[in-house]
Amino acid sequence: MVADVGEVSRVETETIEVVRPYDEARSADGQVRPHYAALQARLATLSADELAERQRTQERFFLLQGITFTVYGAESSTERIIPTDILPRIIPAQEWAKIEAGLIQRLQALNMFLADIYSEQQILMDGVVPRELVLTAPSYRREMQNLYVPHKAYANVCGSDLIRQPDGAFAVLEDNLRVPSGVSYMLANREASKRVFPGTFRGAGVRSVERYPDMLLQTLKSMAADWRPNPQVVVLTPGVYNSAYYEHAYLARLMGVPLVEGRDLVVHDNFVYMRTTTGLRRVDVIYRRVDDDFIDPLTFRRDSALGAAGLFNAYRAGNVVICNAPGTGVADDKAVYAYVPDIIRYYLGEEPILPNIETYLCREPAQLSHVLANLDKLVVKAVGASGGYGMLVGPHSTQAQREEFTQALKADPGNYIAQPTIQLSTAPCLIDHGVEARHVDLRPFILCGEKISVTPGALTRVALKKGSLVVNSSQGGGSKDTWVLNESRESRP
Amino acid sequence: MMLARVADSLYWIGRYVERAEHMCRLSDVMLTATLDRSESATQVARIALAAVGDFDGAKAKNPYAAAKALVFDRDDAGSIASSIARARENARQVRDQITTETWERLNLIYLRMTGPDAEAAYAEGSQLYLHDIIADLHLFRGAADATMSHGEGWRFLLLGMYLERAQLIGSLLEVCFGDGRRRPISDHFALTNVLRMSCALEPYLRAYTAEMQPRYILQFLMLDEDFPRAIRFCTDQIESHLKAICRHAGMAGVAGPERLAGRLKARLQYADMNELESQGPSAFLSTVLDECAAIHRLMYDTFVAYPLEERLPA
Repeated sequence: MVADVGEVSRVETETIEVVRPYDEARSADGQVRPHYAALQARLATLSADELAERQRTQERFFLLQGITFTVYGAESSTERIIPTDILPRIIPAQEWAKIEAGLIQRLQALNMFLADIYSEQQILMDGVVPRELVLTAPSYRREMQNLYVPHKAYANVCGSDLIRQPDGAFAVLEDNLRVPSGVSYMLANREASKRVFPGTFRGAGVRSVERYPDMLLQTLKSMAADWRPNPQVVVLTPGVYNSAYYEHAYLARLMGVPLVEGRDLVVHDNFVYMRTTTGLRRVDVIYRRVDDDFIDPLTFRRDSALGAAGLFNAYRAGNVVICNAPGTGVADDKAVYAYVPDIIRYYLGEEPILPNIETYLCREPAQLSHVLANLDKLVVKAVGASGGYGMLVGPHSTQAQREEFTQALKADPGNYIAQPTIQLSTAPCLIDHGVEARHVDLRPFILCGEKISVTPGALTRVALKKGSLVVNSSQGGGSKDTWVLNESRESRP
Repeated sequence: MMLARVADSLYWIGRYVERAEHMCRLSDVMLTATLDRSESATQVARIALAAVGDFDGAKAKNPYAAAKALVFDRDDAGSIASSIARARENARQVRDQITTETWERLNLIYLRMTGPDAEAAYAEGSQLYLHDIIADLHLFRGAADATMSHGEGWRFLLLGMYLERAQLIGSLLEVCFGDGRRRPISDHFALTNVLRMSCALEPYLRAYTAEMQPRYILQFLMLDEDFPRAIRFCTDQIESHLKAICRHAGMAGVAGPERLAGRLKARLQYADMNELESQGPSAFLSTVLDECAAIHRLMYDTFVAYPLEERLPA
């Protein structure tokens, strides 16, 4: 039976108690969930060959468009298409409403936190978050202290990673407040799935994601609105060899603003200009897709050729806005993460709508010894690393790997956190001519300038390897379209 | 207004695309001509190789190997695959400035030339393969023309194309009719193939009938007003695009490249064929090639790599 929404088999290991992951398409008793019924019905009419043909069409579309990414350290071709899956992941309206509210609450609190720690530091004085944890974090930027940021919107573009726990509740795994990527795949996947399942798409009542570039431009412009009526916005990219270059070019094209590299920018008398054919043109807002460390060799890393010398001073002087603000990384630091629920309560006086994953801070001796005793059950992450690197997945690890991490943990406990192994939810995916369940996460995108908004859609990342929990594209992960459904359509009989 | 780096990339896309198309045509003519095993067939191969700057006479004896290297050799910066790869690399760097339709055409050619099946497809039918690449390059031009805004960026793209074309046709004519040649080409077969290399055979026939005369060929490829591969046509285009670019930049009438382009245009417009023939075309052709190079340099100094000190706000 090919065209069936598959079930994942239980991961049986002796050492850990295994919880059955949440299945996005079927309830525990095997019934197809109502919001998946139409897709399921459509799949039942398609043969394995027809599905495979659609998958190939989609891959050709991506290749022709040049929707490729670069894997660091890969020997062969530097450009590859991101593996995409044609079966959409579907989220009903009432679930989305909760996600949306939770994300807005969380980003509001995190921006208030950033505004606070870069000015009065009230939250540190009140002892809600340990002072030393914040001030010693590598992503904390002393240079940002007492700097005016319009609307106190430090993180303008945020891409949070959510996972669905076995009980069906969404939780936040990570906040990405530095230079989150993936939004172009959300838009490209949508283009593709409209071609692959036009009828099902129309019938389902899927909310549109098309306005993202327009909303992004409005958000960026709002950051300079109080001093420049019609600000010149640019996208700053590290260049064509960056793994997310496609996305940088894509966003610049859809916003209709120049895509600049560091070498196109000149800073003179604390104003930023770009070199054009007609001479130098003033730049007001820089949506930078370059990490903090590299934006200005005079302020941050001296060996960086990706930024512009003097950029940060121009920012301090209030002559240009850098989005996201430098130093936002301190709020998505993996150790600070553990305090986000407290941060939300502290600034907003509300309970968090979306919970955290339980997190052990190895800097606390009691928690460290618990982690060391349970290495085979936990996921250990280095605080500074991202992209799935520097990570130990306990239940899937070897004795040698655990010993290596034991050494590392004892040597530098402050650099690590640990979390229980979470069973990510599973969604049906097209794998080798058949439909099988694979683990997925969810990355929605939140924009924050004068206003705050969540795009009704997301990037769903898929661990294409059977049983794998790692969804990062650099580690064999793929992506699929995410359909957020309209309220009205669902309530119809 | 556009980024200087972007203008530079668009200009080079134009040059590389033009170069790739010219090389495809030379390879195609060389392969087709050598189906006849005659002395003039070898002469055609020698002309084609000399026109791409390769004066090693021995290679003309094995035109198949020479043509294949010209198509696929990535170590050779002048090969078709290298030109396409560079055009596409430039296009990738200005992906936000060209339309999806234009990008897709170029990316498709690149995938076809560098994909795993490329050499097999070539082996199966090299002329057909080259013919398809040329047709795809025409689609690229068509897509650029039909979907890109005909503003500054598009003009830089076309400026690159026409400068490159004027120089390529100029070099080809120098090889065929220049002073360096010991015996002038008089053979009907060779002359026909020179016209094929410039994609000019059919338009030439309509203008001059099947009478193949070096004088008429020179006159047609240098001074014709309407044929798009004639040098005069190219210089008209170079002048008109540069003029528009200067106007966009608010430098109309003051910028150097515009003056140079106007002079070159007039040089072709008022050239006298009898004078040219009595003096030999070499001196004239080398003036044309030098002035194309000068326009390239001055265009760079004015729009792309200008000294910053002169442009800083007071």
